[in-house]
Amino acid sequence: MSLDYVKFTPGFEKFMPKEYRDMVDHGPFGKKTTVSQMGSFKEVMEEHPMCAGCAMTLFIRLAVIAFPNPEDTITVGTAGCGRLAISQAAIPFVYGNYGDQNGVASGLSRGLRLRFGDKPKDVVVMAGDGGTADIGFQQVVHSWFRHERFTTIMLDNEVYGNTGGQESGMTSRGAVLKMAPLGKKFDKMDMVGLAKLAGCAYVATVVPNNPRRVESVIKKAVLVAREVGSSYIQAYTSCNIEYAIPTDKVMEDAKTVENDRYAFSEYISDEAKEYLAERYGYKEYLPKPAAAVAALADKA
Amino acid sequence: MYLVADINVEICAAKSCKLCTQYCPEANTILYSDEMGKDKGFKYGSAYVAVDRCKGCAQCVWVCDNMAKNNAIKMIMIDQLPNAALTDNIIYGEKSTTVALAAPVVG
Repeated sequence: MSLDYVKFTPGFEKFMPKEYRDMVDHGPFGKKTTVSQMGSFKEVMEEHPMCAGCAMTLFIRLAVIAFPNPEDTITVGTAGCGRLAISQAAIPFVYGNYGDQNGVASGLSRGLRLRFGDKPKDVVVMAGDGGTADIGFQQVVHSWFRHERFTTIMLDNEVYGNTGGQESGMTSRGAVLKMAPLGKKFDKMDMVGLAKLAGCAYVATVVPNNPRRVESVIKKAVLVAREVGSSYIQAYTSCNIEYAIPTDKVMEDAKTVENDRYAFSEYISDEAKEYLAERYGYKEYLPKPAAAVAALADKA
Repeated sequence: MYLVADINVEICAAKSCKLCTQYCPEANTILYSDEMGKDKGFKYGSAYVAVDRCKGCAQCVWVCDNMAKNNAIKMIMIDQLPNAALTDNIIYGEKSTTVALAAPVVG
């Protein structure tokens, strides 16, 4: 939870693996790294056991790069594929029991605020659609109603991917899966609508076929969660195994799904807009001068 | 034997879009070097693949062919590579990485 925790103990540097030495010397800790610099710095995330071509991995990779202060961030996860990659990043990772990740994160973010005061320490929950919308549903929605100040990210692959392909609440109606051979009989849950209803200050849906957009969404969500309230990101991260998508067609599928049911959407509360504009210089959210507003109204 | 991505330096250095570095699901697998291609007179550098991390999903091939329209990446058998970048030989700099090319992993 500080820059010091990654540094070498004096005299031990030569015993550390190359990847670790590279991360300390050329990693993103204490610097501002962006998606456009990818490939030129050592990433916080390391090799992981997730499937080849997994879109969820790509999203997690982008998310970890997008954290505003990776050295002051804790990730919380639960059972599901995502934790296999999230736990391979040099960022403290808390593994909640299945479904209680938002409860754990609530306590964690409150505790960090007591311990560190105004110094921002970000808590980011990354869990699958099962962990967020089915088994963790109660704790997720309650944390939103309590306006807990941390970010919840749903890695929505629309299936229980690593238990053989059962339908989840986020599976689309009619989808036929290995363990749902008759097709799902109910609609996909509207978690975005629920998040807005529960009072989240920032809500977005995103697909990882636009890395810069993913970066911008994650940055805003984490910054809003520092002071304003809960933030929620729902990301489509296809399961190429259970949905039988050839690995080289994963981005094509992402594009198709984006056009079909996952169009980019972003909701920011007025308070969050004001906060982002004043504290972090987001010019697009600055209040428009009265004259310009009047001119716009005239045009309309 | 298995397939890994191989980037054609001459096409890549002429365009240098860097899209593949942003779409690879594996961390630090497609890297970017400012130096690569300079000896052939290209203005920009090129992306390259650390073959010991490549899982052979070919997502970069789709991105290069369909999004960037450069057709610079091909999947080839690892023992057919003349030489390859390995994680141990990668040196990180201020703005890009350089790599000492080695004989590829065989087997």
